[in-house]
Amino acid sequence: MTERPTAETGAPHPAPPLLVACDLVKRYGSVVALDGVSFAIHDGITGILGENGAGKSTAIKIFLGLLQPTSGSALVLGEDASQSTRVRARLGYMPEHDCLPSTVSAAEFLTHMAEVGGLPPSRARTRAADTLRHAGLFEERYRAVGGYSTGMKQRVKLAQALVHDPKMIFLDEPTAGLDPAGREEMLDLVRKTHREFGISILFSSHLMSDVERTCDRIVVLQGGRLVQSGEVRDFTAETRSVFVEVDTNRERLVQELERRGVRVTADAGGFRVEGPDESLYDDVRDAVVDADAPLRRLAPRRRALAELFQGDPTETGEMIGAALPDEGDESPEATP
Amino acid sequence: MSDPVPVHDIDPAAASHEGHARPEGRVFDIGYQRYDGPREGRARGRIAVFKDGVRTALGFGRGGRAKILPWSFIALLVFIGFILAMVAGAAFRFAGPEAAEGVPSHSDFYGIASIILFVFAAVVGPELLCPDRRDGVINLYLVRPITATDYIVGRWAAFTAVTLGVALLPQFVLLIGRMMGTPDPVAYLSDHWNDVPKILASGAAIAVYTSTLALLVASFTTRRAYASVFLVGLFIVSTPFTAGLSQELDGALGQWVSMFNLSNIPVHVNDLIFGDVSDITDAAPARELGSSLLFGWWALWVLVPGWLLWIRYRKLTP
Repeated sequence: MTERPTAETGAPHPAPPLLVACDLVKRYGSVVALDGVSFAIHDGITGILGENGAGKSTAIKIFLGLLQPTSGSALVLGEDASQSTRVRARLGYMPEHDCLPSTVSAAEFLTHMAEVGGLPPSRARTRAADTLRHAGLFEERYRAVGGYSTGMKQRVKLAQALVHDPKMIFLDEPTAGLDPAGREEMLDLVRKTHREFGISILFSSHLMSDVERTCDRIVVLQGGRLVQSGEVRDFTAETRSVFVEVDTNRERLVQELERRGVRVTADAGGFRVEGPDESLYDDVRDAVVDADAPLRRLAPRRRALAELFQGDPTETGEMIGAALPDEGDESPEATP
Repeated sequence: MSDPVPVHDIDPAAASHEGHARPEGRVFDIGYQRYDGPREGRARGRIAVFKDGVRTALGFGRGGRAKILPWSFIALLVFIGFILAMVAGAAFRFAGPEAAEGVPSHSDFYGIASIILFVFAAVVGPELLCPDRRDGVINLYLVRPITATDYIVGRWAAFTAVTLGVALLPQFVLLIGRMMGTPDPVAYLSDHWNDVPKILASGAAIAVYTSTLALLVASFTTRRAYASVFLVGLFIVSTPFTAGLSQELDGALGQWVSMFNLSNIPVHVNDLIFGDVSDITDAAPARELGSSLLFGWWALWVLVPGWLLWIRYRKLTP
């Protein structure tokens, strides 16, 4: 049996982890959804990343106590949520799929959910109004949820996860179905929820850019196994290669670069150029001049999170966007 | 939740220094804040599920359309109680007390109106369970500090309470109507005071039975309409089928076939409570069976569906 990676996200923490998965296995008949996954998550926004079917939602549901693992353990705030109603009072959950009643207003629904979360009725009403204000739905709070747009429904889903003031919330694909503007607003809301109110967040997504822009740390699952975990900034650090994009004379530029002994790989409409040392930039400058190629972009190349799903995350010449469809996975740092 | 936190105080000294007598002011952040108030945990969650179940059944907090069905049934049942009281009052006035006693009263009410209560339960009951599963709201309950058992018991208690209220309201309209229809209402009440516990007991018997069956059927589908049609069919079809078959079969077999008339099961208990046979059970061979058997049969039809309902929801959580 191969040794499975076990991970603690982030730098060493003095506080105990909020979530601990220990050799977590979940099988549905012959299908293995989680295969011996172990990791610990601390305070902050942590992305749980993976393709569809990687086991993200299953892991979240096990942490919340909605599913029982086949073997292993999953502790939230030091307890098993399937056994402890006390710990569930401090958790919030925004499911991926529909979870809203269509006939009641957002204010009515949130008030009810706050009461189910243990808040007294008068406080629940106030909390519902405040949370809907936070989610940007204060003016619409008395409309039936069934008449809301997809973006508004996503906000109500987030609001119901927050209404009882949990210590930690689980967001399962919170940007699913949103247009780019709605996505950005939702990500802002998620960031604000942690940074202004200190609520820790486990953020599940298959969209690399969402996780990259929102999360401090990531846990990467693939085929039910833990692939990577750690700080997002460690994964998106600059590589030693340079991204070059020119308007014309591409072939001549490639010849000039290769003549100087640097390695050139096609990459997202431009070239990725790798050299032995800092003289790489001089070589690129000289090659561009000699090839008479109008320079459009020259930037140190950052690794994209999508590359985590490839065999060698540092040495790849192909985008992984086909496997994990998303916009903007490749991320040159700057444009001239 | 704590009161809004003042984020900025306007200094009155500075204001007066400028020569203006301004009142002291505070700017409050009325947006989202952390909650440091009381948390009542699982007990509050259970109450909330019950309260929401009552509101859902009666259409409160929902649009006008959600109120039409339950309140139509309530109005119809109250109307029947009112009509019976009016008829009794008229009989008393024009034909004397003996004639008024012959008009159907409390012991006959559920024999007359039970089918309306069954249809009420069939139409309204599924509304408490089906949408929560169809819309996925059930998952939001189960990640909060209540269990699946708390949820289903809360829903069952809520619907049973509503059905009990719907069953009792026309009986009390009838009681008050008959009381007011006599020249001496106080004397009528003192003569019939022991009807009150009987009304409560028979109302409870019919409410527990109908609500449990309705919620059990609703637990098997996410579509309210399917559950309603099935339940109405079950109550309506079982009546002529078992009545016809039990007439054809003599003796104990006929009596047992008659026991499967689902509409009659709580009415037999009603008859036992009042010590009288109502019109619809009068022709049922099952009425000749012993009282303990009739009561036990009713209890079986409450306990087994109730247990199945609990099992179905218990499976939702690990």
